[in-house]
Amino acid sequence: MNESHQTALSTWLLAMADDQLILAHRNSEWIGHGPILEEDIALANIAQDELGHARLLYELYAALTGDDPDKLVFFRETAVYRSTQFVEYPKGDWAFTMLRQYLFDAAEMVLLTQLVDSTYQPLAQAAAKMRNEELYHYRHSSAWLKRLGLGTAESNQRTQTALDTLWPLAQQLFVPLPAAEFLTTDGVIPPATVWQEAWEQVVRPFLHNCDLAIPTAAAPPTADRAIHSPYLAPLLAEMQEVARFDPEATW
Amino acid sequence: MDTQWPRYEVFKQDSPHKAHEAVGSVHAPDAEMALLQARDVFVRRPSAVSLWVVPETAVFAITAEEIAANPVPPLPPIATHAQTYLVFTKTSQRRSMTFVRHVGEIVAATPQIALQLAMESGRFNEDAVFVWWLVPESAITRSEPGDIDSLFTPAHDKTYRQQSYYGFVSPTRNRK
Repeated sequence: MNESHQTALSTWLLAMADDQLILAHRNSEWIGHGPILEEDIALANIAQDELGHARLLYELYAALTGDDPDKLVFFRETAVYRSTQFVEYPKGDWAFTMLRQYLFDAAEMVLLTQLVDSTYQPLAQAAAKMRNEELYHYRHSSAWLKRLGLGTAESNQRTQTALDTLWPLAQQLFVPLPAAEFLTTDGVIPPATVWQEAWEQVVRPFLHNCDLAIPTAAAPPTADRAIHSPYLAPLLAEMQEVARFDPEATW
Repeated sequence: MDTQWPRYEVFKQDSPHKAHEAVGSVHAPDAEMALLQARDVFVRRPSAVSLWVVPETAVFAITAEEIAANPVPPLPPIATHAQTYLVFTKTSQRRSMTFVRHVGEIVAATPQIALQLAMESGRFNEDAVFVWWLVPESAITRSEPGDIDSLFTPAHDKTYRQQSYYGFVSPTRNRK
């Protein structure tokens, strides 16, 4: 792999890892606040799984760049994070959290299905490992969405309101990253358009069957992952606080 | 109005040749969600190959003392609408057998009749049983063999430590 390919790959891996990390953190904010004990445990499990996925991706990134995954997470400034605004938004109500998780799970599931055949072996292996877990995540969040969408007038309304906010934000997931064409021509990752089409084929009919209307306006707030929502900085301040309090501590 | 979700009893099978054992219960709006909740509550770490969930209202549970105090009434003359009941028993106070274990099936019209047939069958080590559960097969929701990879396999890659792994501070202080 030459240098430009390597840079393109590390850029892509960091973006994917940051999305997993930030969403895991958002979901972990429900710990102790879930609607029922069992669901509190379930969402904590899922958050921990996504954190594990982030770690796998940071390790692939670190293998290319020599960075330390813990340092990347706890000592990087807001401006150099590459998460989408989709995962940065506050957790909202249960409908918002479940809908975001559903949209993300669907995106991750179809991406991993394609990455299992990646020509970059370490990525193909990581994808195979993550995919089993993701199938369960998808089953969990889609089961919730059905019950929220088809439940009561209030649950449907709350989920629809969440969809109106999240649908445009979700589009940012599929914005191609710089120099990604190096990776797609080599079969390292699928083209973003292929990923997005596969995602829409899953989520559009599903949301329709949940009695939810997909907004027509679907322009993401930004196409640039360097531009963050106002919500990321406070999240990182909280997440990084303990590690930065004593940078030399070992855990 | 009762705002609580109904309770489902959860049965877990640790490996293909072991019996399903009751492990506890979850609250869920329906059986499909109960199965997912059971996965997260009971099999995140230890290994498992199968889960069953049953609404607690479908479980007919009775202890040996209750049977002795109030013997099971005689069989009605005609048993109609027979269905299969799964028989679960608890026969030990060992810590490894806190709950009932699946031991077989009985076809009967009611759980009471199923119990009586089970007690007379000679198949279930009846004298040693001190808790019986009878569950209609139709009330059970089971994980599918195809679920193993997504529901149970990921646990193998996760760190699982017994309680004894962690050090503890004794609450008693040495006195001089």
